[in-house]
Amino acid sequence: MKFGTTFYLSRVVGNTIYTNDQKPIGKLLDMIVDLDSRRPKVIAIKIKNNGSIRIIDFSNVSITKKNQQYHIQCTALHDMELSKLHTLFLVKHVLDKQIVDMYGRKVVRVNDLRLVVLSNGTYTVAVDVGFEGFLRRLGVAKPLKELLKPFRITVPSNLLLWDEVEAIDFTNRGIKLSKSYAKLSTLHPSDLADILEDLDRSSQLAIFSSLDDEKAADVLEELETEVQVNVLESLSVEKAADMLEKMPADEVADILEELEAERANKILIEMEKEASAEVRELMGYPEKSVGSLMTTDFISFHETITVQEVFAELRRIKPEPDSVYYLYVVDHDGRLAANVSLRDLVVAEPEQPLHRIMNRDVISVYDDDDMDEIVERISKYNLLAIPVIDRTKVLVGTVIINDVFYDFIKSKRRK
Amino acid sequence: MRKNHSMWSKILTFMALLGPGIITGSVDNDAGGITTYSAAGAMYGYNMIWTLIPAFIVLLIVQEMNARMGIVTGKGLADLIRENAGVKVTFFIFIGLLFADISNTMTEFAGVAGSMEVFGVSKYIAIPLTAIGVWLLVVKGNYQFAEKIFLIFSVALLSYIFSALMGKPHWSEIGSAVIHPHVPVNFDSISMVIGLVGTTIAPWMQFYMQSAVIEKGLTPEDYKYTIWDIVVGCIATVVVAFFIMVACGSTLFVNGHGTQINDAKDAAVALKPFAGAMASQVFAFGLFIASIFSATILPVATAFYVCEAFGFEAGIEKKWKEAPQFYILYTIILILSASIILIPNAPLIAITLWSQRINGILLPIVLICMMLLVNNKEIMGKFTNKKWNNIIGWFTIFILVVLSLVLVVLSIF
Repeated sequence: MKFGTTFYLSRVVGNTIYTNDQKPIGKLLDMIVDLDSRRPKVIAIKIKNNGSIRIIDFSNVSITKKNQQYHIQCTALHDMELSKLHTLFLVKHVLDKQIVDMYGRKVVRVNDLRLVVLSNGTYTVAVDVGFEGFLRRLGVAKPLKELLKPFRITVPSNLLLWDEVEAIDFTNRGIKLSKSYAKLSTLHPSDLADILEDLDRSSQLAIFSSLDDEKAADVLEELETEVQVNVLESLSVEKAADMLEKMPADEVADILEELEAERANKILIEMEKEASAEVRELMGYPEKSVGSLMTTDFISFHETITVQEVFAELRRIKPEPDSVYYLYVVDHDGRLAANVSLRDLVVAEPEQPLHRIMNRDVISVYDDDDMDEIVERISKYNLLAIPVIDRTKVLVGTVIINDVFYDFIKSKRRK
Repeated sequence: MRKNHSMWSKILTFMALLGPGIITGSVDNDAGGITTYSAAGAMYGYNMIWTLIPAFIVLLIVQEMNARMGIVTGKGLADLIRENAGVKVTFFIFIGLLFADISNTMTEFAGVAGSMEVFGVSKYIAIPLTAIGVWLLVVKGNYQFAEKIFLIFSVALLSYIFSALMGKPHWSEIGSAVIHPHVPVNFDSISMVIGLVGTTIAPWMQFYMQSAVIEKGLTPEDYKYTIWDIVVGCIATVVVAFFIMVACGSTLFVNGHGTQINDAKDAAVALKPFAGAMASQVFAFGLFIASIFSATILPVATAFYVCEAFGFEAGIEKKWKEAPQFYILYTIILILSASIILIPNAPLIAITLWSQRINGILLPIVLICMMLLVNNKEIMGKFTNKKWNNIIGWFTIFILVVLSLVLVVLSIF
């Protein structure tokens, strides 16, 4: 056996397998790799032997190259039990299927796989997602390359290392999924959302279920509305509720409004009281009103509190970066009185009470105003966020410029 | 779904899920279809109307399977074929589809050219304008917007009802012709029957229907509404076809003498002395809408499936940079189809016939792939075909294969 031989899967699948004395014993149908080893090592092959399909141990099999063809030899046929193992069938699960290219952060289709024979076993090293692989499968790669040589045209080939891809078409339910998608969970939520949108419903769900609540919530926020609905309709009510608790109330309200009323209600009941109450309130606002866009995650203080107390409080609650553009000052009935920017706090003396440094001339909008009102004021006064009050002047939320921007982009896309 | 749903909320749910079936059904009545229906009405009067009954059943069976596959797997037909039939089969199906659809798109542009001539607009103005408009709608528009436009188009196809009524049809004769058709059995009439059934169901439609279902994000819970969407779509297809046949049958087929019609424009022009200029223009308007409609969907759908199957990025929501192969292929299909029609004295009739022939060869192959996929437990789980589905499905395929073979053989001799 010559070590270091590399070969393409498509060149060996369908080949005849021979015994030591060169008697044919069957055809190679598929190769099975073990995903638990550090590298995906071939541990078994699926063969057709006298009309029956068998999975046999790979340790008695060798693959060698003889005059441009691959010769497969098998010294003993030992059946192998796979049910306990974390395996992948290369033809059934990977070849011609979609996988995620971690490096390009997109979904690609596998045209072929490249394997290597080393002294301690045979491993999958790369997947071929290029046009050359496609032509090789059609059986015209070599002649076509010869034909194009005089014209200096090369056929683009594109090999991705196994470490840089994540297979997704698992029909193997017996394994813990989080393990299967370990690579995917390292991606940025926006990239992962883009990838999910390119996949079919069952793959979307499989990947989604494997993420932890925090990550899942981040990804859910980035998804297109249809995919959000699909995910929430298919996940268990408990999982959906856990995930939505990790999201800003206004986002949750937007998503739940797209769901069937009954399903949305079930999820709301499952959520923590405090979170669901906020969401329900926001869901009451008509579309196109300020209330439907606002977030209820704002920070407010009374005017008697000192600057250092404010800082202590901020350290305690560790707010999201976009909820601290401005801090609001309210009276004892929660009515909006003024605002304070972080900059004002930073330059102020620690002992000063807020009413000394606050800005009483605060620009706000009513929760039942039209959305266009916000765009106008935010751009007129160069604001990063704008407080929302109800008709009794009580501060009920804020609208952040980001949300206005996204809403604008969304409505442009719909036109 | 709650048990105590009011009728009203049921209707609302249905309206929200409406679309795939009805649009597919309307796209189906494209320039090629209208030509075939007109020719059948002009040549045989009301005696070919009965063919709409088997056409309706075939359409229903096939589209239901597509919708079910789309709903259950969430994958397009192109994806499924590639993942389960291997590269070689995929390659031949999609090269075939590409050729068929380029010639189909040419037929649509021929329809645009013909219908605009009735209004006195030269094809050298109409076709470039249409092609640019279509290109912009696809490259700059999005699916929701396009779907709305398409639904409006679908309604515009009802204009054929008016041209039919202007021709003062004889309802009692229509009734008796459906029950007792008088058709001479010869090569011409047989190929007409084949053409009528064949034009109702084109290969690319199966791909389109399945994608539309996925695009809508329908789930197994939506299935019962989708069925109604398909039924309504199939009825719409057949109703439009019926009225086209009636319009031509009650005017161009007089005193038992047929009129030979080569393309749909001929029908519009021929209507004038019988039913007046108004009827002729309404007919031409319907043809124009139908042609634009299909000329919009066909090229983009084809580019999408070919890219999907060959593993290139595709989709109108992607930017040109992200999916260059898709956009280039789409643009080539559009430019090629439009410019061939612009060649002076282009053999429009031959092009129409050829596109139907390629469709005829491709259709059984696609349908066989579909039947194998829809019966595969690993793909469909518990949603595989029921016994009767399979009996009707395979019987349909058998008939279509025989018909298509006959049609191909006939067109060679």
